[in-house]
Amino acid sequence: MDVIETKQLTKSYGAARGIVDLDMSVRDGEIYGFIGPNGAGKSTTIRTLLGLIHPTSGTATVFGKDITTSGPEIRQQVGYLPSEVFYYDDMRAIDLLRYSASFYAADRSATEARIRELADMFDLDLTKKIDDLSYGNKKKVGIIQGLAHQPRLIILDEPTGGLDPLIQQQFFHRLREENARGATILFSSHILGEVQRLCDRVAIIKEGTIIKVEEIRTLLENQTKRFTLELAGPADPSRFVVDGVSDLAVSNHTVSFLFRGRINDVTSMLAGLDLVDLLVEEPDLEEIFLHYYQRGDGR
Amino acid sequence: MNVFLRELRAYRRSTITWAVALSGILMLFMALYPTFTTDVAVTRRLLEQFPEVVRNALDISLSTFFSVNGFFGYLLNFAILAGAIQAMNLGTGIIAKETTGRTADFLLSKPITRSTVVTAKLAAAVVLLVVTNVVFAAGAVLLATLLSEEESSAGTLLLMASTLLLVQLFFLALGALVAVIVPRIKSVVAVTLPTVFAFYIVGMVGDVVANEDVRFLTPFKFFEPERIITDGRLDGATLAIDAAFVALAVGLSYLMYVREDVRAST
Repeated sequence: MDVIETKQLTKSYGAARGIVDLDMSVRDGEIYGFIGPNGAGKSTTIRTLLGLIHPTSGTATVFGKDITTSGPEIRQQVGYLPSEVFYYDDMRAIDLLRYSASFYAADRSATEARIRELADMFDLDLTKKIDDLSYGNKKKVGIIQGLAHQPRLIILDEPTGGLDPLIQQQFFHRLREENARGATILFSSHILGEVQRLCDRVAIIKEGTIIKVEEIRTLLENQTKRFTLELAGPADPSRFVVDGVSDLAVSNHTVSFLFRGRINDVTSMLAGLDLVDLLVEEPDLEEIFLHYYQRGDGR
Repeated sequence: MNVFLRELRAYRRSTITWAVALSGILMLFMALYPTFTTDVAVTRRLLEQFPEVVRNALDISLSTFFSVNGFFGYLLNFAILAGAIQAMNLGTGIIAKETTGRTADFLLSKPITRSTVVTAKLAAAVVLLVVTNVVFAAGAVLLATLLSEEESSAGTLLLMASTLLLVQLFFLALGALVAVIVPRIKSVVAVTLPTVFAFYIVGMVGDVVANEDVRFLTPFKFFEPERIITDGRLDGATLAIDAAFVALAVGLSYLMYVREDVRAST
């Protein structure tokens, strides 16, 4: 079953574009990455799903329920962390988290225990006033309020800003645990390495429209790889003229080229060479992203 | 219920301050009542020397000024002005705080309908105003007892005191409506003070030009103390206008709050 499904979902702000005919389906139990640069429509999509803004046209369901008619019912099972966190400055962190928990039907004592556990994990002082917390600590409050009620769907909109690398690592670890528990995660980011580390599938969004949805593994496998060879003797460039090879550079004993195609073809070619060293580099998501983005159509 | 309780807690200090200030000022000035009435004839002659226009602008009615109820009614005009500021601050602030404080994303991404949010907030605001009024009315009755005269009537005095709440409800509803119409109010006071004073000035101008119809235009003239003392009841027509405005403004506030997009907090 798809946890999130949108069909031709469109949101415009007057003449300005938000999202256009956006089709998206997030499967139950997956970690779905949502990448694109600022202004591409990631937040607009998320805010529409949460009922914070109203769609101009199209449909969207979460847990099979229409977002326009079943908002509170849907949000009962959703944990949300926005990119920028703002809370009531006069409240202590613990009071804010209890206030947040009071909206959900989840067991109060279990939620309180989870708040304490998450606060310990993220080293957050719950007795401090929100106003006295650093931005990073406010973000931790945001993470806890998003996870404390054990939501079935966790929606994260560029969640790592303000978190130091160690906390990010703990946060990602926790997200994997939540996913193992059965939670579905929609993870929006413009930091592609984050999506690569965490997600099962990724959607690339450009100018309000999803231009490519791919399994992370497939995305990486089907891409160009860079080979760098160190040979025992002088290299003969003609030996590397094989289908799929491009960007060939030969310099004394060193050869480098890009290869796209069946990996067996390149290993057969390498079999006859006297190799001293071989380096095969995976393209990172950044390169893949730019590849799709520059092509624009994703096909 | 959680939003309702949260708002009660958030505004409890300011409500206590307003209630104590309104009652305190009332008591302070009511304490001057015996001074004004020690020699009524002298004070009356002094006030008669004021041009009628000035007396009207200051809401001084020589026919009632020297009774406890009349003196209270005179002071009530200023209490209502202050109370209107409290109510409009509350109405605007309690609705607009989620956008000015950028907490709308937090609150409205919770499993709660927007109409429930408005209901909880307005219900909390009404309770806070009722608390203010109970303290104010208790102070008024206490003073009336202390300064008791034969002609003073606790019933009339309470009826007059109740107009504070009726005018406050008008400004609460107006404040809520302004909060949903004006996006991102930077300063609540900058919106409420000019609005309240504009209505007050309309009332003053009406007094100066002695136009009775002004009582249909500004809530400050909906329930004039002198008329309540004379009639022993509230004016049905202006009460209906007050109620109709409150219903309309609250209804529009609901409609707009439910339909509006929540602006991104970035």
